[in-house]
Amino acid sequence: MKRRSKFTMLATTAIVISLAVAGCSNSSSGSSTPSGGATAPAGAPSWCGPKKITLGLLDGFGGNSWRLVTTAAGADEVKKCSSVTKYEYADGQGDTQKAISDIQGMVAKGVNALVVFPDAGQAMLPALRSAYKAGVVTVPYRVFPGGKDGVDYTAWIGADFTTDGKNWGNWIKTNLPDGGNILFISGPKGNSQATDELKGLKSVLTDSKYKYIGETPEVTNWDPALTQQVLTTDIAKYPKIDVIVSDFGPSLVGALPAFAKGGRSIPSLVTSDGNSLGCFFADNKAANPDFKLMTVATGNDNVRLAVQYAVAKATGGKVPSDKVFKAPAFEDSVSGTPSQVQCEKNLPGDIYLSAQMSPTDQAALLKK
Amino acid sequence: MTNATMRETERVQSSRFANSKGFATVGISTVLLFVFSALAAPTSVSPGAVLGMIPFAAVLAIVGLGQMLVVQQGGIDLSIPGAVSLAIVIVSHEPNGDNNRLFPAILLALGYAAAAGLLNGFMVGRLGLNSIIATLGTNALLYGVVLEISGGIPRSTTRLLASVAAGITFGIPNSAFFALGALAIVAALVKRTVAGRRFEAIGANPLAGRALGLRVRAHQTLAFVWAQLLYSLAGILLAGITNQPTAFQGDSYLLPSVAVVVLGGTSLLGGRGFPFATVIAAIFLSQLDQFVLSLGVPYAVRTLVQAGALAVGVAVYTVDWAVIRQRIRPGSRRAPFLA
Repeated sequence: MKRRSKFTMLATTAIVISLAVAGCSNSSSGSSTPSGGATAPAGAPSWCGPKKITLGLLDGFGGNSWRLVTTAAGADEVKKCSSVTKYEYADGQGDTQKAISDIQGMVAKGVNALVVFPDAGQAMLPALRSAYKAGVVTVPYRVFPGGKDGVDYTAWIGADFTTDGKNWGNWIKTNLPDGGNILFISGPKGNSQATDELKGLKSVLTDSKYKYIGETPEVTNWDPALTQQVLTTDIAKYPKIDVIVSDFGPSLVGALPAFAKGGRSIPSLVTSDGNSLGCFFADNKAANPDFKLMTVATGNDNVRLAVQYAVAKATGGKVPSDKVFKAPAFEDSVSGTPSQVQCEKNLPGDIYLSAQMSPTDQAALLKK
Repeated sequence: MTNATMRETERVQSSRFANSKGFATVGISTVLLFVFSALAAPTSVSPGAVLGMIPFAAVLAIVGLGQMLVVQQGGIDLSIPGAVSLAIVIVSHEPNGDNNRLFPAILLALGYAAAAGLLNGFMVGRLGLNSIIATLGTNALLYGVVLEISGGIPRSTTRLLASVAAGITFGIPNSAFFALGALAIVAALVKRTVAGRRFEAIGANPLAGRALGLRVRAHQTLAFVWAQLLYSLAGILLAGITNQPTAFQGDSYLLPSVAVVVLGGTSLLGGRGFPFATVIAAIFLSQLDQFVLSLGVPYAVRTLVQAGALAVGVAVYTVDWAVIRQRIRPGSRRAPFLA
């Protein structure tokens, strides 16, 4: 008896909750067609239309300084458009389940536009699709969640990692014209970012005088301790490493001194930027004659394009023509263009001088 | 009934046998591993590779020594990830790049460690909770503090800490000196002081300890406090070694910490501890990592080899082969047990 009544209670609760949720999401899709016809706010960028909306920014994993700066950049971009009357943020904390329920929660609360960093990739697709089907402008960015624009979500604003690979490849071609041994270091096994970067690299470095050494890419999970172990082993194993390619430069700062321990100069490094890396270069270039550094922007501003796209779609503004964020080349210690290697010694290492947000603003974020 | 008495005597004998076996097994395995490494992947024993391996072995050794103290009291400490991560976060966030604030931050980290140890000790020693449950709870609590301080966002370590922890003196990484210091202190305290002898006696048999009038609960509590202080030291070193640690850097030390204790020959049932063997086991595991990395096999195979080696190592080591031989012998019906 007791068990049965418990079951009935559970079932009733479930029904009540699902009704409530259904009610909420209904009301949200109703409210997504508010008073139109007004004119765009004066002085606003072209992507900011007249319709009043609420926007949600969702992170799959907010736990590093890069994400902190990226989130702040997203919020900053939103602020430029006064048509966005309410802005909300949620952090999935690396938990796919939570990231999914964050999306559902925002839809239930009645947001009009969602900008999502779908860290879990494909696993996020059903949640994105259901948000899109509920009439919410849904813009996943950076990580590809599978699916199609206009079917599963409004549009995917990806980062073009192939361009990064090409930028690196071109630099290697210019600075190592006679070829050399390339050590490519990335994050978790099989991550799509590394696959694209490698594609870009290989499209430029077609000649067989460029040789990849080690497991390409070397698996480090972007964990500084593992990076250090992997690099130490490779230094011992390969007497000649001419250039290291890495898609997360700052994680190498703890590992690069291993070259000195082996009595060798740090070789050329092509990677993404970070203040700690820039300062490491400034401190160590004198003692390491072969140490040259080239970086591409680490792409904090990818989120800005995604926000612009989502806001434009939801408010009726002018939709940006570009759907892909191409990280520009940033530092080059050899040519000095677009910029010499930069180091803000008095500011924390965990800021990104390539980002639009000013270094002091980023430092202030980290102080919190 | 007679069977039970026989089994008791048997166990005492076999545990005495296992003591010498502990040091020998892990020592010989480590030497063999180095020889095998030199033959199969010579670069894994080159000076650069060994210098790169030692800091991580040192951190693992210090964490293992802490775990050993808890295991000696028949407990197991699952709060290592939180404890190590907390020390890392405190010494990297509090100074925020300022060398002058490093020392107070280290004191703060040790203070937190002592508090966490007292909490664990109170729950296990005083309240008599199961150590698995209690320390798991403490781990969650410590991670709460980690997130409170850092928001899950790591910070670079100060240059001073990086130069001390990752530096080299007389051709030997500084972290090795810290590990040797920790080993000397733990070994001297446990093996050469009256309190240490009482500590081991209580671990071997708390009831007998109480009957002798020893302060059982105080010793059990202190095991957790000392352990936490060691984890904290390991965390501080790790922060300096990695330079840009994550806020969850301690996660990867839980399983290895138990593995080195078991490989070192300390019984999970409590009693005598083997600090030297534990440290050698830490070198063994770290060199195994390095060796498999140097083989240049794909990541998938690498993980499989490590897991397999660990499982085989622990199994070969903990299974009481004498009992198994006895069991296989016709006429014997005794079940094998784990030492």
